[in-house]
Amino acid sequence: MKILIIEDEPDLLESLCTYLGKGGLLCEKSSSMREALDKLSNFKYDIVLLDIMLPDGNGLDILDFIKQKEPETGVLIISAKNALDDKISGLELGADDYLTKPFHLSELNARLKAIYRRRKFSGQKEIEFEKIRINTETMETRVEEELVVLTLKEYELLLFFIANKKRVLTKQSIAEHLWGDNVDFLDSFDFVYQHIKNLRKKLTAAGTPDYIKTIYGMGYKFTSD
Amino acid sequence: MKLFVKTTLFYLLASLIVFTIGGVITYNKVKEEVALETDYYLNETFRRLVNEIKSGKSIGVLNNDKVTITKLDNQLVRDTFRVYSDTISKHPLLNRPEAYRRLVRISKVEEQYYQFDLMDVLIESDDVYQGVTAAFVRLFLFLGLFIIAANTVFFRWILSPFYLSLRQIMFFNVKDKDTIQLPDTNTREFKLLNAFILKMTHNARKDYLTLKEFTENASHEMQTPVAIAKGKLELLMESGDLTQDQLQLVQGANQALSKLSKIGKSLTLLSKIENGEFSDKRVCNFSEVVGQNVDHFRELALLRNINMQAMLPPVLQLPIDSALADILISNLIKNAIQHNNNGGWINIKLNEQQLEVSNSGKAPSVPTETLFNRFKKGQAASSSLGLGLAIVKKITDTQNWQVVYKFTDQTHSLRIVFT
Repeated sequence: MKILIIEDEPDLLESLCTYLGKGGLLCEKSSSMREALDKLSNFKYDIVLLDIMLPDGNGLDILDFIKQKEPETGVLIISAKNALDDKISGLELGADDYLTKPFHLSELNARLKAIYRRRKFSGQKEIEFEKIRINTETMETRVEEELVVLTLKEYELLLFFIANKKRVLTKQSIAEHLWGDNVDFLDSFDFVYQHIKNLRKKLTAAGTPDYIKTIYGMGYKFTSD
Repeated sequence: MKLFVKTTLFYLLASLIVFTIGGVITYNKVKEEVALETDYYLNETFRRLVNEIKSGKSIGVLNNDKVTITKLDNQLVRDTFRVYSDTISKHPLLNRPEAYRRLVRISKVEEQYYQFDLMDVLIESDDVYQGVTAAFVRLFLFLGLFIIAANTVFFRWILSPFYLSLRQIMFFNVKDKDTIQLPDTNTREFKLLNAFILKMTHNARKDYLTLKEFTENASHEMQTPVAIAKGKLELLMESGDLTQDQLQLVQGANQALSKLSKIGKSLTLLSKIENGEFSDKRVCNFSEVVGQNVDHFRELALLRNINMQAMLPPVLQLPIDSALADILISNLIKNAIQHNNNGGWINIKLNEQQLEVSNSGKAPSVPTETLFNRFKKGQAASSSLGLGLAIVKKITDTQNWQVVYKFTDQTHSLRIVFT
């Protein structure tokens, strides 16, 4: 998957590239509107990661440009503004998703993968991880052909894990992925633990090894190692 | 009390004191003068009588009800000087006792001693008193009317710039853009006052704008650095060779950053509400917004085994920006989940007049009237930001709604009254 990151803050740009690069994504960087338009005119990207507040222009204009020139390119907007208006106009102009700064890189990763999945495999909507196969169309999870019945949250949790496999996921990022910003007021991440416990039970009962490794005091890692 | 009433009363009181003292002085003076004049008259009468006796008139002719002349045969008497005294005698015409001045004197006229006993009716002190009082009361009334009239003119004319300035200050709003219009005046003090008002209002506006800009910029400009820091921490976690303890340090830093960013977002939200950026007052189906939020939070409530029940009418249209309604309701429900016991309950009731969110929970540990202040938390150790109810208050303020908090029977109840 090839992505273009348009972000004027060099530090953030660097971190994004490093993180996504580790997950096997091909990243190109651009820190201004001019540079971005230049790259977009010459190359083709699967997904563009777009900061809408740029020093030399409004990122929404880039979005417009992409939609006209390369409509199959996915766009994920990142913005420091929590403004509902920006969010709505961004999505109306054809952006696939919107993230407000600051965000968990794991969340960004999961969203990028979701966009990629929606856009690319228009026929085949299957995700595989070792013995697990998930059909994102029917939202069915199977372990070696056998159906595993998951609740909606467990399903979302499993997708999030697989998108961020082999990565450390903090309880906080998991909680925010599952319940959005609204979890901040709840004191504990026990709820995350409850869902993980159930998911783990269901997966191992279906015959998989325990993929969910607990990292004490920290979070979880989904790995087959 | 109005300044006009105060000054008028003050002047009236001052003149009342002056008039009272003046009255007493006048009364005494008049009385003294009357006595003096009477004495003088009696003395004149005495001299006239002496002359009459000298000219040969008999004392029998001279005696009357006011004059008693007695011939004295006793050779031991001598001339006496005038002896005046006050006495009371019956008035011959009025037929009632009156105050008299009396002169008794023994005098030798043509080698014969006589005792003169002369009386004359005195002007009564009662009469003097009445006269003086009547005059002074009239004078006082006249002065009073004059003071009121003069004061009215003074206030209408001389103080009018002051009142105009006062009116301008009363209608001053720090959020308005127009400079304050102050009246022209040639009174030095008012000129100074107006100059001061102009300076202060100008400064207040400048400070307000600076503060507003600062809040807006600070809270969203800080999101990018926070995003950078969080990204780096996540990369650090990924690097793989961290020990358990180090990972926990990273995790702690990460959580603090999240909190920082959320504080920033909440503060931006507060200033946006205050700036009236949510001003889409098309009616919104409030009932639907409440219902959606109840559904959204039901799962989170269940995680704490909290039973959430809502009694909503199918449709309730209220003139509020739908985004604002959503923020209001979600903050109320979050608050009810947070300040609850595990296994507690939440009850939401909505009708035309009010929205009531009540929930089980422990008694608040801070004075309830401060609960709506920013960064004031019901429980000190909680992880909340302490901004939820401040946001609720700000929204209800902009809507001119009322929010009432009550704690009774281990039940928190927040009522929002639509007025």
